[in-house]
Amino acid sequence: MIKLNEETKKVLLALSDDKGIYLEGNILKIIDTSDDPTFDAYIKQSIEKDNEKRTKRLEITKQVQEQNIELIKSKGEKDEVNKQLQKALEKAEQAKESAVNDLELMQKKAQFELIGTIVKVALWIVCGIGVVTTGMFMICLSLGIENQIIESAWSNMFGILLTNSFSIIGTIMGVKYASDRLDKKS
Amino acid sequence: MIDSILLIDDENLFHLVFEDACSLLDITLNLKTLSSADEAAKYFKNLVETKQKKPDCIFVDLNIIGSTFNGIELIRKINFDYGDGVVIGIISSSNDKQEQTNAMKAGAQFWIIKSDEIEPRLSEFKKDFDGFVKRKLKFKVYA
Repeated sequence: MIKLNEETKKVLLALSDDKGIYLEGNILKIIDTSDDPTFDAYIKQSIEKDNEKRTKRLEITKQVQEQNIELIKSKGEKDEVNKQLQKALEKAEQAKESAVNDLELMQKKAQFELIGTIVKVALWIVCGIGVVTTGMFMICLSLGIENQIIESAWSNMFGILLTNSFSIIGTIMGVKYASDRLDKKS
Repeated sequence: MIDSILLIDDENLFHLVFEDACSLLDITLNLKTLSSADEAAKYFKNLVETKQKKPDCIFVDLNIIGSTFNGIELIRKINFDYGDGVVIGIISSSNDKQEQTNAMKAGAQFWIIKSDEIEPRLSEFKKDFDGFVKRKLKFKVYA
């Protein structure tokens, strides 16, 4: 315990009377006031005021603490919602990508089917003409008839058919190669 | 009244709560607060090296954010590296039984639940303090 001299006590008492300023903090608890009832009352009053302030501060600090906890909690909830939104966005992107791929696949399928039909029809026409012309040429040969028109038509037809067949095969291969390259690039 | 107390807690707001509660309950006149376990380890190392008096009682938070080790590890370090002899325990919002057992094994003497109503628990602890100093009391949870 510490004892204050008379001069200091007078100054402190004057300060409290004139300006309402009191000592604060733990120092109040180690001042010996046993021999001075006036100063003892001053110290008791100071302790009371100090306790009032501390109680008020304690309440406010607790409130701030509670608000902090709430803020942290709501931040966590917000982060969770953001994560869910991000996941939903990723799923939507994946679904969109899958739909675009499906559409492309369907378009390609339709194109290939069309090409297949064209090739089939062309082959039937070519084969039909070939068979008809060859049949007519064979009839002429077996009957010993000389027919310049059928002979030249048969040879021309075969020449043209061979050239066109290679041309068609070349075109189909070219289209296939080009579409494969486009797929790889995309 | 406890001569000197050391509080190690990363939450600075709780430093204020603890300081005001200690003052209002006349628990101590000498309170020192630290914010990390690393700071506390350094502080203890310095105390031992310069042969200064250790605090009479230490309150350690369980999860000290921003530290390289947690409260239980710090208690073990203080007890085993810097010597026993201080009353030491955990002050935490957790009430995990397993953690309490771990703390007891590390040398903690008490566990105070940190909540809005900290004052009654500190008041009860103040009454028990002599028992902890004389090692008469077993590990106690203030909930």
